[in-house]
Amino acid sequence: MARDRYRDRLATLRTDVVLFGELVVERYESAVAAAANGDLRAADRIVSGDSEINRRYLELEGDCIDLIARNQPVAGDLRLITASFKILTDLERIADLATNLAERTEYGSEVHPAVDLGSLGLAAGEMVAAAVDAYENDDRAACRAVAADDDTLDSDCAAATQRIIRELLAERAGDDERVRTADTTTRGLLTVRDIERVGDHAVNIAARTLYMLDSDDELLY
Amino acid sequence: MSQNESTIDSESESLITTDVQPDTTAESASSATTIVETEQLNVYYGDDQALDDVSIAIPENQVTALIGPSGCGKSTFLRCLNRMNDLIDIARIDGTVTLRGIDIYDDAVDPVALRRKIGMVFQKPNPFPKSIYDNVAYGLKVQGKEITDERIEEALRSAALWDEVKDQLDQSGLELSGGQQQRLCIARAIAPDPDIVLMDEPTSALDPVAASKIEDLIDELVEDYTVIIVTHNMQQAARISDQTAVFLTGGELVEYDDTTTIFENPADDRVEDYITGKFG
Repeated sequence: MARDRYRDRLATLRTDVVLFGELVVERYESAVAAAANGDLRAADRIVSGDSEINRRYLELEGDCIDLIARNQPVAGDLRLITASFKILTDLERIADLATNLAERTEYGSEVHPAVDLGSLGLAAGEMVAAAVDAYENDDRAACRAVAADDDTLDSDCAAATQRIIRELLAERAGDDERVRTADTTTRGLLTVRDIERVGDHAVNIAARTLYMLDSDDELLY
Repeated sequence: MSQNESTIDSESESLITTDVQPDTTAESASSATTIVETEQLNVYYGDDQALDDVSIAIPENQVTALIGPSGCGKSTFLRCLNRMNDLIDIARIDGTVTLRGIDIYDDAVDPVALRRKIGMVFQKPNPFPKSIYDNVAYGLKVQGKEITDERIEEALRSAALWDEVKDQLDQSGLELSGGQQQRLCIARAIAPDPDIVLMDEPTSALDPVAASKIEDLIDELVEDYTVIIVTHNMQQAARISDQTAVFLTGGELVEYDDTTTIFENPADDRVEDYITGKFG
């Protein structure tokens, strides 16, 4: 029956988005670990694997377009598909940010000591995982918790940035050391920026989930 | 003018033969002025109830779509608005229907005059076996208006048909394509310059191109008329209407709101299930 197939495809889309989300979280956490440990081989795997993420992203985006074109969904079905469409984009961007982290690890400069990857980096990953869980389980409270956690992450990222800048201003080194310091500082600032953006994407996923569930735009901006 | 006020123009007053006080309490889901309103409208065909306490205020110069599964009462509701159910012996109607505040079921209201103010277009195009010109002229004749070439042209232009038939006005209306026949019926319906045009599944017998032309035409008609349309095509309702009323089995009006709300976030779970195809 056509309607049964349609409902099966909606359920499959949701499952596929969750699986894609779990894959992206895994890649992001691996990128954080590779950066923290200076693991060049792991970083290389993450960079080379980005094309696979992009391919899967385009497949799932195509599924959304096909569902809309062939079934003209409305109401809750329409919100599920459009929210999934947007969430997929956020997940793909998180994977890109994981690739950025891995590329900087490949470049070889050390992580700035002011950036606590074990705290900042993993906190952002946990937010993404929580947002994907909320999407999977219709968890409205979890959506709002992700948004609240982002305030903390933003504050921690701002503090890390301040520490990097203060250390840079306090440097009294020779020319060679200045070159190394510049690389480390740049990497530190970019890493903090990317982690903060991962948190923003997690909030986007939570916001789209809340919209999907109740047509509630409370977390959208 | 506030949304709670209704106006009574001189033409609506011409519906009545004795003094009838207009009801000016009509409220609409839209901010526009209410043109027609029902209060606790119940319709029975013998022992069967076709409409169950339907109260609704329909705004002027907008498209209101009536949707719902077969047998839910939406066509019955449409026929109540121009007293077409009067023609059915076993039909019994309780409640009120007001046009610009005037109770159309009042004894003082002339049903024939009412139907001049509320035209109707049916599912299957039904042109008379006469020329294109005479089909439209009929619409003028029943209004008692002088039949002039200019008025015929105006009605055919308003129905987006003039350019296709202007050189063959003497041709039988039955020789036109299905889509053209339906637009001819619309020209005939609007020739008397009604307030409201009722449409009962006007595109269900047409191919997609012809249906699309009718939808475009409805967009234009609503500048001058109020359109109330029954459709089984929910995508059509979503495309062309400003308000949507959802009827479900038993003749119950389950939800009535602006079309965007109905199709993006309906309040009633039964509406959600119906429009997403989970039942019906």
